[in-house]
This record gives sequence, structure tokens and C-alpha cells, in this order.
Amino acid sequence: MSMSMYILSSGEISALVTELQASYDVYGPQVEPQTKQVFFDQLATPAALDLEAPIPSMPVKEILFPQMERILKYKYDAENQSVAMSKQYFERPKALFGLRPCDLSGILVLDRFFLGQEFVDDVYLTHRRQCLLISNTCLHPFPQCFCVCTHSGPDADEGFDLDLTKLQDGYLLRVGSEKGQAIADAHQWQVATPLHAKEFKAVVDRSIDLFPEMATDNKAWVAKVMNRITTGFVKQETWEYIGDQCFECGACSFVCPTCSCFNIEDTQTPCGECERLRMRDSCSFEGYARMAGDHNPRQPVEDRRNKRFFCKLSYPQSKKYLRPGCVGCGRCQWVCPGDIGLPNVVQYIRREITGGQN
Amino acid sequence: MSNCHGNHEHGNCKTTGLCPIVTFPEVVNIDEIRDEIPEVKTFYLSFPNKDVEREFRIKSGQFIMCTVFGAGEFAVSLPPSPENDRFHISVRAVGKVTHALHALKPGDKLGVRGPFGNGFPFDEIKGKNIIYVAGGIGLIPLRSSIVHALQHREDFGRIILLYGARSSKDLMYQPDIREWQQNAGFETFITIDRPEEGWTGEVGYVNQLIEKANVPVDNSVAFVCGPPVMFNSVIGEFLKRGMSEDAIISTLERQMKCGIGKCQHCAVGRTLVCTDGPVYTYRQIKTLGEQI
Repeated sequence: MSMSMYILSSGEISALVTELQASYDVYGPQVEPQTKQVFFDQLATPAALDLEAPIPSMPVKEILFPQMERILKYKYDAENQSVAMSKQYFERPKALFGLRPCDLSGILVLDRFFLGQEFVDDVYLTHRRQCLLISNTCLHPFPQCFCVCTHSGPDADEGFDLDLTKLQDGYLLRVGSEKGQAIADAHQWQVATPLHAKEFKAVVDRSIDLFPEMATDNKAWVAKVMNRITTGFVKQETWEYIGDQCFECGACSFVCPTCSCFNIEDTQTPCGECERLRMRDSCSFEGYARMAGDHNPRQPVEDRRNKRFFCKLSYPQSKKYLRPGCVGCGRCQWVCPGDIGLPNVVQYIRREITGGQN
Repeated sequence: MSNCHGNHEHGNCKTTGLCPIVTFPEVVNIDEIRDEIPEVKTFYLSFPNKDVEREFRIKSGQFIMCTVFGAGEFAVSLPPSPENDRFHISVRAVGKVTHALHALKPGDKLGVRGPFGNGFPFDEIKGKNIIYVAGGIGLIPLRSSIVHALQHREDFGRIILLYGARSSKDLMYQPDIREWQQNAGFETFITIDRPEEGWTGEVGYVNQLIEKANVPVDNSVAFVCGPPVMFNSVIGEFLKRGMSEDAIISTLERQMKCGIGKCQHCAVGRTLVCTDGPVYTYRQIKTLGEQI
């Protein structure tokens, strides 16, 4: 479809948020006043939305794939040998307003993984079914960002319903889906001119120029490293070097927009009911693959680390995601207490390839 | 069950047009419990919901996710034949959930999701000799295929079972074995590790039976399930005799939480045991780069 573009004032943006709140739970980036941390959370008022805030500390997957959620409730009556299960849950439609392009790409990866493979994941589908995605172009990179290396920023090019970019005259709104067009058609927004389109391009180019050299320099190397990891040509010493720095804290998995491993546990509630909880898991944990009887086929930490990077940077995995598994948000680099955020791992493997030259 | 949760691309929809139970467990009744060998019990199950029961079709080598209410869920292979057999599972009490299962009595309820997994090839191996090699409770995942093959005896060449256990008390499915030993079309070789009073069968390890049974390697497939030590020595023996790596077939076991390729706990090499397996050829297993 040809992409319609409009120019919206800040007032029109706020009005749009208010309007969406009638039919959606609207989430957006907000700055916590005391800590100045950014969270992508449900908006109480349109005024809480801060489209200029840096990328949120936690990825937006939090909303579609929560840290922990109940997927089933049941009560077993041992005396009568009967079970009552309840599986009904109601999900309000959600509008994610002001997604950074990396987080949007993360959602697309989760979509393809949870909905596009052999089986459809019903739990994820319930969250995702009625979602409205509104992305927001990054006018400059934030510390540790390297989305230019992973084709997921600084502007969004697919998957959004509506996309915003701040220009001189206001916000450029690009429409990316029929759902987005229906919203645009219901308004009398000013149609954007070719000059606005030109300015959009210039804004994106300027943003790309602002990326630090390390990020842009790594661009070609991401593809080379993917090739190495896929073909298994990364040396054992390199994996051991990476494994030695892993504290097995799991932080990288929890802040990663595309990490989707989970665990399932049945727990008793005080009132005698049972809940089946699904919670995020991390392949860095020692007990991740441990089976009943304590047989653990994946013990050394480097084995577990190489699994993670295989997930992020390899062709077989990219085939599932239709893009690399890394979206370049840099969060793993912020949180890693060792030094094995994804950009660093690319550096280590790069150093191995060049024999320490770079 | 009525609506497909996949894209009709998973094994079950392709072969039977029927979807497995994907997300919410379906309740089953424990009709009967049999003590098999120490620590292993067989649970005979039935679906109170007859519509579900009609649509619940399995393939040899597949598995289900079984819920013990209040304790949790575990993956377990399916020993019944896809045709004319009672629905049952055989489980060793190893962890928290399986111990809770062993504490149940007839009439108690379980939850079932599935069947999942690729299953053993059946149509592809018609006309060939089949050699089943099992150690200990490795006979559980093979039973389905054995019974199914015997139900279609005329479709295959020689059918041979080489089965070994620590002692005569550790032999699974003894009523089945007695029946199989009477079956003229089925060559069975049973061995135990050490001599026992009153034992008239073979003594020694399973790999030693390969010689004894004069196992054919041409136009043959071998299904091998058992502890890793047995697996490695048996495979070595078959390869020495010139059997192709594609003709040696086994199943892998991993920790599983979802069964539908999402939780990723069962990732081995580039594959997921739940959707790409659990049945692998030895050629595939070799490339996985992980312990069996």
C-alpha cells in the first residue's frame, strides 16, 4: 500500500492518546520523576507521555510477554477425584504508543517466533491479538545503541500501524497498516508535503551519522560474526573467554527484547487452588536444561553462552525471525556485570578472526 | 481440539488432519495402575470426554505433556500402539512430579496435552528388517513401534528385539515379552547383566546380542533406546558392521516445559527436541554437538 503521511501538532498527539484511551489500554514511555528512569508503562494521562525520553530500561516485551503470568487456574478435589479448571481470561486491547524502533523489531521477532512457527502460542496471541503499534523515530542514538548494525533503527520500516518522527513543523505521522489508515481517515490531519518527506530522510541520516564509530564500524562485522557462529568456526577458547566472564545472572535475557525462553511451574495458592505460572527463564542458568534425576546435558557455562549467541546471531535462528535475533538496543551491554554484552561478543569474535588486529 | 492451533503444518495435522491438545490440558481418568519394575508404574488412562478421545490419535515415538494436578507437568513418551491399544504411560519416579504421580490411585485425574513430536518413521521403513535395541526402561518409547510393526507383520522383513536389563526384575512389560516370545514372526533376545538363579535366557550386555542374533545390516533399520553407555556401544557395533548412520534411529530426552517449540528448554544443537524430535537418526545426533 502507498504510505500516507500527515503532520500533527503536539496537541493533536495528546488528543490522539486521549481518544485511544477510550478503546485501548495505552502504554508509552514515561520518565520516573525521582530516578529519571524511563519506563514503558500504562499512561494515566496523555501528559505523562514523553516521546523524547531515552529508550526505556526494560524492553516493551514486558507488556506482551510478562515476567510472570498465570496461564491456568485449577482446583483438584482429591476426595472426589475431580478437577475444576478455569482458563478464561479477558485481555483489554493495548496501544503501544511511542515504541523505539528496536523495541518494535523485538515485537516482530516475538510475533514470528510465537505465532509464525509450527504451533501458535495461545498465551502470547491473547496479548498480541488486538494490539496497536505506534513507533517513534530516534533522532539521535542513546548510549550503547547499535541498531544501525542490526537493521532495526534509527527509524522503523515495517510492522508499525502508525509511526512518528519529530520534525520542525510537528510530528510526521506515517501510516503502516490498514488499521493505522482507518485511524488517520477518521481525522482531519494536515497531509504532509514532499518537503516533509525530504526532511524525514535528512533527520534519519543525521541520526545515523551521530552513532559512535564503534557501532557503525561493527556493521559489516555483525554479518561476518553471524557466518562464523552459524558454521561453528568460533574457537573454543573464544567461547571459554566469553564464558569466564558470565556471572550467570540472567540479566541479558531479561532485558533483551527478543529473548523468549520461559519456564512453567504449578504452585498452590493459600486457598487450596493451583495456578500454572509461566515465567521468563534464561539459558545462562545452570539448571536450565537439568532433567529430573539431575542429569544435566549442558553444564559448562561456555556451552550455555554460545547457545545464547547462537540464538541472537545465526542464520538458522534468523530464518525463524526473518531477521537477526539481535535488535541493537544495547541493553545487554548496560546490564552485564561481566563484559559480554552482544556488541562486545561481536568484538571478541572479530578479534579472533583478525588475529587480534582490531 | 476443534480448531487448529498451528498452521496445520505440524506432524499430526499432516498425517491425520487432527490437532493435538496444545495449551490447556484435557482431563483423563486413571483406570488402572500396574507395577512394572521397581520404581516404574504403568498408568492406564481414558478420556471422560469421548469427542476428545476419538480425535486423540498418536504416532509411535511421539510424547505427551502430562499434568499431575497440584505438582506440575512432565514430558513422557507414549508406549501404546497407534492402533487397537489401550492408552497408557509408563513412568519411573525420579523427580517431584513423577513421585506425586506414583502416589495417585485409580480414579484420580491427570491432565494431558499432545501428542507432540515427529514420531518414528513407519511408512518409509516398509519392506525393511527392523532391529529394536533397548536397555532398561528404553523399551518404553519403543513399545509403540514394536506393537505397531507386529500388527502389520507382512509389511516388514525380519523383526528382531534385543533387550537387556540389569536383572530379571528390571525387565519392562513382562506380559508383552512373554507374548512376543511366542510369536514366530518376532525374534526376541533378552539378556540380563549378571547370572541369576532360575534364569535361562542370555547373560551379558545388549551389544553382545548383535553377534548372537546375526543381525542383518543391509536393508535394515535399527531403533535404539537406552542409557548413554549402552547407546554408544551398540552404535559402535552397528557402524562396525557397516550399517548406515541414517538407518540408526533413536529418541532424545530433554527437560521440556511447553512441548510446542516455544519454551526452548529442549534446544539441542540447532534443533528443538519437542518439534524437530524426539526421533533423530544417528547422523543427525552426531551433528548436534551435545551429550545424548
